[in-house]
Amino acid sequence: MNRRAILGALFIVFLAAGFVCVWKLQAKIDQERSAMQLEREDLALRSPGVMKTLSLEYAPLMAALYWTRVVQYYGLKHQMHDQHLDLLWPLLDITTTLDPHLIVAYRFGSTFLSDAPPRGAGKPDQAVALLERGMQANPDYWRFYQDLGNVYYFDKKDYLKASEAFEAGGKFPGTPPFLKIMAAKIAAEGESLETSYALWTNIYQTTADKNVRKNAEEHLRLVKAEMDLRELNRLADEYEKKTRRRAASINDLVVTGLLPGQPRDPDGFAYVIGESGKAEIHAKSPLREDWLRERK
Amino acid sequence: MRNIRAVAANTFREAVRDRVLFNLVFFALLMMAAAILVGQISIGIEKDVIISLGLTAISVIGILIAVFLGVALVSKEMDKRTLYALLAKPVHRWEFLLGKFFGLVMTLTVNTAAMAAGLYAALWSVKHPLAPTDIYILVAVYLILLKLAIIVALALLFSCFTSPFLAILFTTGLYVAGLFAADLRTIQTIQMDPATLRLMQGISYLLPNFQNFNVMAAVVHAQGIPASLVWNATAYALLYSALVLVTAAVVFSRRNLK
Repeated sequence: MNRRAILGALFIVFLAAGFVCVWKLQAKIDQERSAMQLEREDLALRSPGVMKTLSLEYAPLMAALYWTRVVQYYGLKHQMHDQHLDLLWPLLDITTTLDPHLIVAYRFGSTFLSDAPPRGAGKPDQAVALLERGMQANPDYWRFYQDLGNVYYFDKKDYLKASEAFEAGGKFPGTPPFLKIMAAKIAAEGESLETSYALWTNIYQTTADKNVRKNAEEHLRLVKAEMDLRELNRLADEYEKKTRRRAASINDLVVTGLLPGQPRDPDGFAYVIGESGKAEIHAKSPLREDWLRERK
Repeated sequence: MRNIRAVAANTFREAVRDRVLFNLVFFALLMMAAAILVGQISIGIEKDVIISLGLTAISVIGILIAVFLGVALVSKEMDKRTLYALLAKPVHRWEFLLGKFFGLVMTLTVNTAAMAAGLYAALWSVKHPLAPTDIYILVAVYLILLKLAIIVALALLFSCFTSPFLAILFTTGLYVAGLFAADLRTIQTIQMDPATLRLMQGISYLLPNFQNFNVMAAVVHAQGIPASLVWNATAYALLYSALVLVTAAVVFSRRNLK
């Protein structure tokens, strides 16, 4: 091997060793910076107008960058089980000001601004404002009315406005009959588990966003469990009428033939009868925490 | 070592002769204008505005000098043909490169120190006496200087094998990419296939992570900077600059100067 080849090999080894050290150092620095909660938690420029001016002719590109940051921000917060989504609104505000036609930002934003913590920011008013802005900028996009109806139905519990939003969406040519059905159903019944299930199923089936779909799936599991519990309580009442005592366990219902077998929640955990005599989700089920929160 | 020192001293003298330090006048004017205007345009955050504006100006001016002068260090010597006279003497090519690097870093140190003094003066005029936490500004300035050293090394590397225009483009591009290096690592929150994800993460460690040197948000809000962070950032800058300079030396030693 000549001298040049040896030097070349040494150079490559030096570079490889150097970058391994860089990697190690970077891991340490990342740890220290995350402990300090440096600028990642800060949004230096909160004025969408100024941001649009500064973006010159590159506003759509900037909107795309901000949109990426919205998704990253939500994803990181979700990963860290952090319930404070304080920057979600300002980030969405800037994104949709930079590009008022970025449909995905309105739809994603309204879902997670309105949904209650820990899934969302719990700010349905901001979700409504965002959707109204989206409707103004994109008057032909009927799905915003569906999203608005969802926000009014699930989070603001304003069933009249929810029904009106679905009704308005249903007037667009070519919209699925689902909107008109929901408008009539909500106007007649207000909130019901069946309506909630139908709405979440529709969101699950129609969204292209994986985060929104995952959120809908979690809600669907919870609503399904609520429906099961309602049915179990109805059977427990029937059992009480027959035997003049409250069922102590689900097994009592099975033994008397009211149930064909031990029912399980969508996560596979058996339902139980609680101390109050009402059916409950098993203490070990991942759904229990959400269920207790919803009951509060 | 003596050769490196001589080239470095000459590079510094040349920069002074080229009136590079004139940018300090611009900085002084900016700081004076900010000190006068800040009271009228910002309510309650005058100090924050002065610190963030001052540190931003130190960083931007430093980057401009590092990129443009860094790229010109080698190309100018070649255009003027002074490089040939220099290399005819007992000076190795790597000594020449290191001398150029240290000369420009020295220029940037003097320049940055003068700007830091100007920033403190503007701060004092807005709010005096200065708070003990204002000492952190010096830490931020030091970290900016480390960042500039890496940029100079990169500019030198690119100027060793390409035209000045392309070297400026490459250095600036790498600087911008380096600002997003951390984002490449946290990108897993977006749906992406594992192979692309691993590739992105690998690239993120190869890129110089310039966010390592950004403590502006902490300093503006009088938040302390841990000594360990400063040490690690220093080690990172030294190591990364060394890697780039060794690569530059290898490239330059193989370059045909005829």
